[in-house]
Amino acid sequence: MGLPLFSANDDPGPSFFRFSESVGLNGPAFRSDVRPAHATTVIAVRYVGGVVMVGDRQATGNYIASRDVRKIEAADRFTALAISGTAARGMEFIRMAQLSFEHYEKMTDSALSLEGKANYLSPIIQRNNLTTPLMVLPLLAGWDPSHQVGRIFEYDGAGGCYERFDYSTIGSGTPFAEGALRLGFRSDLDREAALELGALAIYEAGDNDPSTGGPDFVRNIYPMMVTITSDGFQELEPEDVASRFRVINERRTLSGGNAGGSLR
Amino acid sequence: MSNYFYVSPEQLIKDRAEFAQKGIARGRSIVAAIYDVGVLMVAENPSASLNKISEVYDRIAFAGVGKYNEFDRLREAGIRWADGTGFTYSREDVDARALANYYAQHLGDMFTEGQKPLEVEILVAQLGNKFRPTKLYRVAYEGTISDEPRFAVLGGDSETIKGRFAATEEAQESLATTLKNAVAALAGPDRSIEVGDLEVGILEDRGSRRTFLRLNDEQVSELLR
Repeated sequence: MGLPLFSANDDPGPSFFRFSESVGLNGPAFRSDVRPAHATTVIAVRYVGGVVMVGDRQATGNYIASRDVRKIEAADRFTALAISGTAARGMEFIRMAQLSFEHYEKMTDSALSLEGKANYLSPIIQRNNLTTPLMVLPLLAGWDPSHQVGRIFEYDGAGGCYERFDYSTIGSGTPFAEGALRLGFRSDLDREAALELGALAIYEAGDNDPSTGGPDFVRNIYPMMVTITSDGFQELEPEDVASRFRVINERRTLSGGNAGGSLR
Repeated sequence: MSNYFYVSPEQLIKDRAEFAQKGIARGRSIVAAIYDVGVLMVAENPSASLNKISEVYDRIAFAGVGKYNEFDRLREAGIRWADGTGFTYSREDVDARALANYYAQHLGDMFTEGQKPLEVEILVAQLGNKFRPTKLYRVAYEGTISDEPRFAVLGGDSETIKGRFAATEEAQESLATTLKNAVAALAGPDRSIEVGDLEVGILEDRGSRRTFLRLNDEQVSELLR
C-alpha cells in the first residue's frame, strides 16, 4: 500500500471501515450457496457495577471443529465484543472493530463514545449480512465512562442496533440461555449474582443445545467469563471459572440433572 | 503567443527551497530525543488541541512542524497506512522506516512537481524492541530523509537549538533529565517556556501493546521540577 492521501472531499475521515472500503482492503462482497454453521451461545447481563459476559468455547460445523474458541474479545479497554455465526467473518469483524476504535482515537485524539461504537458497527454488519450468506451477529457490551454505567447493545441480522437494559443472548443456544436469564434476572444484581446467573445460563444452553459447548471437565475447558467495569475489561481466571461450573455441576448431579426446584 | 520565461532548474529549486524554509521558519520548533528507556518528543505549542505530536502505531509516533493543515494530512495518512498495513499483514510488519520512506517520496514529489512545495518538516520515531531498533527519522520539505542517532530538531531555528541540545546531552539519560534539556534547548538562555505551552509525547514500554503516551501539564511539571 502506498501513502494513502485523500483530497478533502473524498477523505474517509476517522472511520477505518470507510477507509478500508475506499482502498479495497475488505475484498468484494459476494453471494454463494454455502450454508455455514451457526453455533454459539454468548450472554451479557447488566448489573449495578457493569456487565458480565459469558460465552461457550465450541465451534461447530457438521461436527465439533474446535473446543477452545474465544468468542469474546476486548474491542478496547472498556468494550467487549462477542460473535456468533460464521467464525471466519466473526474473527475478521472483531479485528475490524478493534482496529476501528483505535484508529478513531489516533485520528481524532479522542475516544468514541460507547453509543458511537455501537452505531459504527451497524453498517458493517449490514454490509456483511445482506451481501453474503456468511452471517455474523455480534453482541457489544461495555462500560460507558461518560454515564458511569454498563451498557449492552444487540443487533439484528440487518445491522439494526438495539440497547438492552437487562440482558441479551446471541447464538443457537439462545432459547435455553434466555430461559434461565428471564427467570433469574433482577435489576439489583451484584457482580457475584450476575456471574452466577451468567454461568447458569450457559450451562443450560450447553445442556440442551448440541452446538453449544458446556463445561468440559475431561479436557478442562470452560466457558469464558468476563466483566466490564470502570476498571475495564477483565477476564476471570480459569480456575475461578472452573470452580463455578463444578459447583453447578455437583448440584445438578445431586438433583438428577434438574435444577432441583429453584433456579440454581 | 504567450510569454514564456526560461528559469534554470538551479533557480527553480532555490526559489522553492526558500519558499518552504520561510514557511517552516514561521512556526515553533520540536525536539525529539532518545532517553534511557524510550523516545521523547517536545514541541512548543500554545494550542492544546491542534497537536504537532501524535501516535501512529504501537511503537511509532509522528511529529510535524510548519503548516498545520499540511503536516496533519501527512499524520492522518501515516495512521491510515500503519493501520491498513497491520490489518493486511500483521502488527509486527508495520515499520517506521517504510513509512518514513513514503513520506520522503511524497515530499520529494511535491517539492519538484507540486504546485508548491509542502511547508513542513516531519519526524517518524520508532521505539525499538527485539526485532527493530529505536529510530528517529527526520524528513525535510524536499524529501531528504535522515536517520538521527540521538536526537533531532525540527523547525525554523533548528541549528541554534541543535547546538544547545548537543552541548547538554552526552549519554542517554532519564526522561526527566532529557525533558529538562529539551525544554532548555527550545527556550534558549533568555526566556522560559510555560508548561501550558509545551506539548510532550513519549514512546515507552508500559506493559501494554501501545507505547505512545501524551503527557499532561501536571506530569510535565512533575518531570521538570
